[in-house]
Amino acid sequence: MRQPLSLKIGPSGVRGVIGESLTPQLVTSFAAAFGTYCGAGPILVGTDTRPSREMVKQAAIAGLLSVGCTPVDVGIVAVPALMFHVREAGAFGGISVSGSHGSLDWNALRFIDSEGLSLRANQAAELTDLYHQGLYPRVRALDMSDLRADTTSSARHLRAVTQAVDVERIRTRTFRVAVDPRGGAASIPTLRLLEALGCDVVAINAGADTPCQADAEPDEAGLAELGELVRRSGADVGFAQDADADRLAVVDEHGTPLGTDTTVVLVVQRWLERRAGPVVVNISTSRMVDDVAARFGCPVHRSRVGEANVVEAMKEHGAEVGGEGDGGAIVLPVNPCRDSFTAMAVILESMAVSERSVGALRAQVPRYAMVRERLLCSARDIAPSLRLIKSLFRGERFDLTDGVKVTWPDRWLMARPSTTEPVIRLAAEAPTETEARSLVNRVLEVLSPGA
Amino acid sequence: MALRELKIGASGVRGVVGDALTPELIVNFACAFGTWCGVGPVVIGRDTRRSGIAFRAAVVSGLLSTGCRVIDLGVSSSPLVSFAIREFGASGGIAITGSHNDANWNALKFFGPDGALLNAAKNEELLDIYHGAAFELATWDRLKPVETAPDVEERYLEHLASAIDVDPIRDRRFRVAVDFTNGACGAVASRFLESLHCTLLPVNAEPTGEFAHPPAPTAANMRQIATLARCFGADLGAALNVDGDRIGFVTGEGTALSEEYSLPLVATPRLRRRPGPVVTSYSTSGMVEALARAHGQRVIRGPVGESHVVDLGLAEGAVLAGEGSGGIVVLPLDVAYDGLLALGLVLEEMATSGRSLAELAGCLPSLFMRKRELPCPPNLIYKVLERFRRQHAEDTPDCTDGVRLSWDDSWLHVRASNTEPLLRIIAEASDQARAEALVDEAAVFARRITFGHEGS
Repeated sequence: MRQPLSLKIGPSGVRGVIGESLTPQLVTSFAAAFGTYCGAGPILVGTDTRPSREMVKQAAIAGLLSVGCTPVDVGIVAVPALMFHVREAGAFGGISVSGSHGSLDWNALRFIDSEGLSLRANQAAELTDLYHQGLYPRVRALDMSDLRADTTSSARHLRAVTQAVDVERIRTRTFRVAVDPRGGAASIPTLRLLEALGCDVVAINAGADTPCQADAEPDEAGLAELGELVRRSGADVGFAQDADADRLAVVDEHGTPLGTDTTVVLVVQRWLERRAGPVVVNISTSRMVDDVAARFGCPVHRSRVGEANVVEAMKEHGAEVGGEGDGGAIVLPVNPCRDSFTAMAVILESMAVSERSVGALRAQVPRYAMVRERLLCSARDIAPSLRLIKSLFRGERFDLTDGVKVTWPDRWLMARPSTTEPVIRLAAEAPTETEARSLVNRVLEVLSPGA
Repeated sequence: MALRELKIGASGVRGVVGDALTPELIVNFACAFGTWCGVGPVVIGRDTRRSGIAFRAAVVSGLLSTGCRVIDLGVSSSPLVSFAIREFGASGGIAITGSHNDANWNALKFFGPDGALLNAAKNEELLDIYHGAAFELATWDRLKPVETAPDVEERYLEHLASAIDVDPIRDRRFRVAVDFTNGACGAVASRFLESLHCTLLPVNAEPTGEFAHPPAPTAANMRQIATLARCFGADLGAALNVDGDRIGFVTGEGTALSEEYSLPLVATPRLRRRPGPVVTSYSTSGMVEALARAHGQRVIRGPVGESHVVDLGLAEGAVLAGEGSGGIVVLPLDVAYDGLLALGLVLEEMATSGRSLAELAGCLPSLFMRKRELPCPPNLIYKVLERFRRQHAEDTPDCTDGVRLSWDDSWLHVRASNTEPLLRIIAEASDQARAEALVDEAAVFARRITFGHEGS
C-alpha cells in the first residue's frame, strides 16, 4: 500500500485517491463538519459519473444526517446545474462529488455555500477548523432527518440557460453541433440543451453507460477525436466538456481546436455586443479579452486565479461576464459560476446573430501565442524566487494581484505559486511564440540556470 | 465523564445514536466486515428506525470502499436478510436494527455466509480486523454499484409456506391480530397471512420507526394487542418486534402470554413433524423441557444470545432452538430467529389440533418465572458476578454465562446483558413465592455492590 500522501485539503475542497486517502471515514467526517457549518437544513448532494461516486456519496449522506441536515440526493449532475439548484431552491449548501479533470483514481468533495458559490478561502478555513476539532453536534435518533431525492437540477438549470439567449434565432439556423461530453455528468443535459436550441447533434462519449473519461485533458491531443467528428459530419462547431461540465473547449468548423483560452473570449465578445459593461478575468487569462473589451470601450479587471475569486471580483466591479483561461466562462446573471452550458448557448447565439462561422468569430480577435511552464520550487524558495523575478524586470509595470505579473503594451509574463503543488507556474503571452518563449526563458535562466 | 453506552459483543455493535454510535464508527465496522467477507456479495437490510437511513448510507459506503458487491434489501426484517444471504450465496450480511431496544438505540447485526449470526470465533476475527483498522480498501476500478433484489420477498414467502402445513390453516380462515411495533414486518407479514387465508387485524403497522410502545414482545408491551384481539374476536394475537426476529402471543380471550410461551408453543408442531434435540439458553423457562420429554427428546442449554443458541443448535443437530425472549429458529431449515415462521407453526398447531391458543397454553406445565433488570455500570459487572459465585459456591454454580444455580424444583440465573449495561436476574420455580424470593435475594446482593454507582 502506498502512503496516503495524496490527500489535499484546500480552498477548492477535499481531494484524494480512492482506496488510499479519500476513505469513507474521512468523507463522513468532512460531511459532518460541512453540515455543522451550514446548519440543520437541506444540503444538495450530486456526483459526476466516476465509478467511486456511490461510495463517496453514501459516506457524505451519513455524515450530513448525523448532524441533523437533510441530504437531498440530486443524482448525477453537472456542477453548474448543482450550484444553480442550491441557489434557486434556497438550500443551506451543496456537496459536489467530482474529481473534475483529475484522473479516475481521484475523487473530491467540493463544497457549495447557500448562495450557490464555491467556498471562499475564509469560509473554507472555517470548515477545516470544524473538521480538525472533530466535535460535531450529533443529533439524537428521533431528531434525524430523512434522505430526499430530487432530479430536477438539470431541468431547472437548462430553463435558466435557454431563457438567457435568443432561442428562436438559434433554432432557425439548425446548427449541426458535434459534442464530446467525455462520459461525464454533462452527457444527457448537453444533448437536451442542444435539442432545445434546435441543433442537429452528433455526439461521442455521450451515452448514459459511457465510461467516464475525466482524465482526458481538453488540449489539442484530447480534442483530436472531436475534430475528426466535426470534419466527418460537416458540423458548424464542436464542443467538449470536462467531467463536471464547468469548462468548455471549442473546435471550429474545420475541426481545429481553438484553445481553451478562446472560450471566455467568444462568450465575452457576444455578451458585450448585447450589453456593454465591465469584464473580469483572472490574472493569467489571455489578453485577447482586453482587445475584445477595448472594441466595445469596456474596462477589464483582473482577479486572482480561481472561480471564487473571479466571481467575487465580478460582483465588486458590477461585471456581468468574465471567466478564466482554462475554458471556464461565467455569465453572472445566468449562473454565478463557470458554466459550459451557458457558454455553449451564448456562442451559438453569437454564430446565429452574426451569421458568421465560429472560426470567423475567433478571427475578429488578434492572435497571441501563450507559453506555460512549471518550475519545481520548494515552499521556502518561493518568496525569494518571486523577489528575484521582480528585480529582473525592475522599471517595468507590475501587477501583484496574484504572484508577479509584468505587463507591456502587447505582451505579459507571469509567475505564480501553485495552491496545490510545490511549483511556480510561469506563463507568457506575446504576438509570436518566439517572443513568448524568450520571456519565459529569461526567468528560467535566472531561477534554474542548469536547465 | 459518563460511560457512553456502546456494546461491541456477541450480538454485533450496539449503542445510543449520536452518542457512542456515530456514522464514522459504523463506517469502520462496515469496512472491517467488508474486509472479513472479501469481494462479497454482502446483503444488507434495515429496520424502520429513523437513524437507519444514515447508518445504511454509512454501511453501504464502508462496504463499497472495500470492493464488496452490496445487495440492498431496503427496509426488511432480520430473518429476510438471513434468507437472502443463503439464497444469493452471499459472503455475509448486515442487519441495521436496534431490534428490541428503544428508538434511541441502533445496532449492526453481522451474519456469516451460512446466514447465521457470526459465532464467537468469527466475531473475534471481525473484531480483530476492526481494532487493527488495516482495512482492505479497493482501488477505484474495483468499486461496484449497489444492487437491489426486488423478488427476494416472494421467494422468502415460498420458503415459509414450504415449512408449514398450509392447507389446514387455510380451511380455518383464522382472524389474526398482529402488532407490528411500527417495524419492518408489516408488508411481508400481510402477504404471508393472506397466503394462509387469514384475516389480518393490524395495529402499529405504519413503518414509522417511532414506536407506540417499547419494542420487546413482553406481556406488559402487549396490552394494546390483547385488547384488540379480544374486542375484534380474533382467534389469535401476536406482537412482532421491530426487525421481526421475536414474537409474543395473545389468546383470543385477550390474555397476553409471557414471551416465554413462544418457544414451547412452537415446540409441539415442530417436534411432531421432525423429532430431534432442542437447544435453548440458561435463562429460558423449563416449560420446553417438559414438552421435549413428552416427545422423547432432550433439551440442551447454552449461553444467552441468538449467536450462541444457533451455533450450539447447529453443532448438536437440533431441530429447534430459541429463547425466552420470543426468538425462535426452526433448524436446519433456517439459521436465524424468525417470528413469522413461529406464527405459522402456532397457526398450524391450532388448525390441526382444533384447540384454541388458550387451550394449547393451558397444556403447558405451570411454572412461575420472575425477571428483574438491574442497571449496573459495565466496570462492576464482573465484580458482582464473581462475589455472587463465591457466595453460592456450595450450590455448584454453572458459570458458562454469568452464574446459574439450579435445584430440583427451581433455578436462578444472574448474568450481564449482551446489549445493555444491565444485570439480568431470572428465577423460575414451581411456586410463585419461591421464584420471587430467589430474584429478590440476588437483587439485594447485587445492589449492595452497585449502590452509589448507578449514576456513573
